[in-house]
Amino acid sequence: MDFVIALALIVLLFAVLGSGLWIGLSLLAVALIGMELFTQRPVGDSMMLTIWGSTSSWTLTALPLFLWMGEILFRSKLSDDMFKGLAPWLDRLPGRLLHTNVVGCTIFAAISGSSAATCATIGKITLPELKKRGYPDDISIGTLAGAGTLGLLIPPSIIMIVYGVAANVSIAKLFLAGVIPGLMLAALFMGYIIVWALLNPGKVPAADAAMSFGQKVYASRHLIPVVSLIALVLGGIYSGIATATEAAALGVGGALILARIEGSLDWARFKDGLVAACRVYCMIGLILAGAAFLTLAMGFIGLPRHLAEFIGALHLSPFALMLLLIVFFIVLGCFLDGISMVVLTIAVLLPTVEAAGFDLIWFGIFIVLVVEMAQITPPVGFNLFVLQGLTKRDVAWIARTAMPLFFLMIFAVLGTYFFPDVVLWLPRQMQG
Amino acid sequence: MAKLVLNFYRLLMVLSCIAMVTAFGTVLLGVIAREVHWDIGGLDAYAGYSIAAALFLALPSTLKHGDHIRVTLVLDRVPAKLRGALEWWCLASAFCLSVYIAWYAVRLVWVSYATHDVSPAADASPLWIPQISMALGCIGFALSFGHALVERWRGGSFIAASADAAHVE
Repeated sequence: MDFVIALALIVLLFAVLGSGLWIGLSLLAVALIGMELFTQRPVGDSMMLTIWGSTSSWTLTALPLFLWMGEILFRSKLSDDMFKGLAPWLDRLPGRLLHTNVVGCTIFAAISGSSAATCATIGKITLPELKKRGYPDDISIGTLAGAGTLGLLIPPSIIMIVYGVAANVSIAKLFLAGVIPGLMLAALFMGYIIVWALLNPGKVPAADAAMSFGQKVYASRHLIPVVSLIALVLGGIYSGIATATEAAALGVGGALILARIEGSLDWARFKDGLVAACRVYCMIGLILAGAAFLTLAMGFIGLPRHLAEFIGALHLSPFALMLLLIVFFIVLGCFLDGISMVVLTIAVLLPTVEAAGFDLIWFGIFIVLVVEMAQITPPVGFNLFVLQGLTKRDVAWIARTAMPLFFLMIFAVLGTYFFPDVVLWLPRQMQG
Repeated sequence: MAKLVLNFYRLLMVLSCIAMVTAFGTVLLGVIAREVHWDIGGLDAYAGYSIAAALFLALPSTLKHGDHIRVTLVLDRVPAKLRGALEWWCLASAFCLSVYIAWYAVRLVWVSYATHDVSPAADASPLWIPQISMALGCIGFALSFGHALVERWRGGSFIAASADAAHVE
């Protein structure tokens, strides 16, 4: 009987989501129906208390602030500067300026919480520069699509905050856990570009005019603003001076000062960034509110517990379970966005994950990696949409160019499974 | 009448922006206060109230701007007639839900006021005061869905097609 109820609710959820009802409202609606049918609680009142409790929390405050920081930086000239500072150094590697995609995204990811923002900010500067010099479109766009997803894995990360709040895991620790896998993935992407360049020497255009070492160092001054912001945000968290929320506020302050100094912050831009941040936060917040109530409803009905027992009875090895989850998330990622995927997973799968003995910090990084893959798989992938906007190319074509990087990500997920210390070592070193 | 309602959404959006700046200021003040050993109780709670206000007050504008996300996989692939029917279903059920939410949001303010519910954090503020922002935003949300239904009936469209993918993920 329980199983039938559970199945019916899940089918209902997907039907409502599929009908096009706004995601946050869909979650609320299904939770309402579940509560009305299967519990004796006063539904409306407990719904409102849950929503208020989940949306007025100190930990969640990090999320809107990081979003605002991203919106300020998106409107600044930071990415221009970064290209100028990075290009002279990367021009000598096999693959040359293609590496600006990966290194640029890696650095920008360390001050931005979202992969779409990373992709858009770096892409609007690197794509025209690469095209001007004659790099082939498919490899420039493909590497950008893949590297842009690092915005999720390298802290700060919006999706990690969502996961941390929902699963009740330290956000500061999650942030640190993402650093090494993020750098590892960036190294894999760069390795791919090098191999590609060695195999296709004819397709890589000539280098720009050579610079002396002194000139290169001088060009690197353009990187100072971005590096100081990273030091402020990540340094604050790592040293234990600031919590994730406080680091977010410092980041907003730093971004405002930086934009002011480089002269890209007038009243109109400030207002634009603020309004955009409020809207994006509102969009995510509605989903979070719906998810909070759905989690409560699921808990009352007991679905997550039953599911955990059911999967436990299958006696899958953790490795088999992980493979199963990867497939499940890739399918889910074909029509849901990453945030909805994470909150739904937490609402339903958390007891299963705990019962399987996965570390919740490790699982957070796992889920972020899988969501990253979902970002570049059609038909729904935010990075694909961003790149479609930038390049006017077809989504399927962009997805094809990003295919090799998708496989590198699967490789990275398996890597974190067999060597969990890649994820867990840095958080253990954290002070405080 | 329509103008009045539109100005109401705009006012809520301005308040939402102010709430966002307040959250930023509050958190920053907390960092500074700790560095100079100045004890201000309950700042954490105020930051929480501010982001809740920023979230709920922005609801109507965000809807109008087309920024609330939905799964369009099916909508984009069905015949126009079915799509129209689905759009009606979405708006109608969203309107009912948002009215339900608005009703209970207002009720929560009233319950908090009547039972003298105070914050469990160090600020010990009466909770009905910050909850007013949530109630106000939810009323605006219900109103905007009503507005969207009326616009659709007249053959127009209240919700803008989202221009660019939001910088979310």
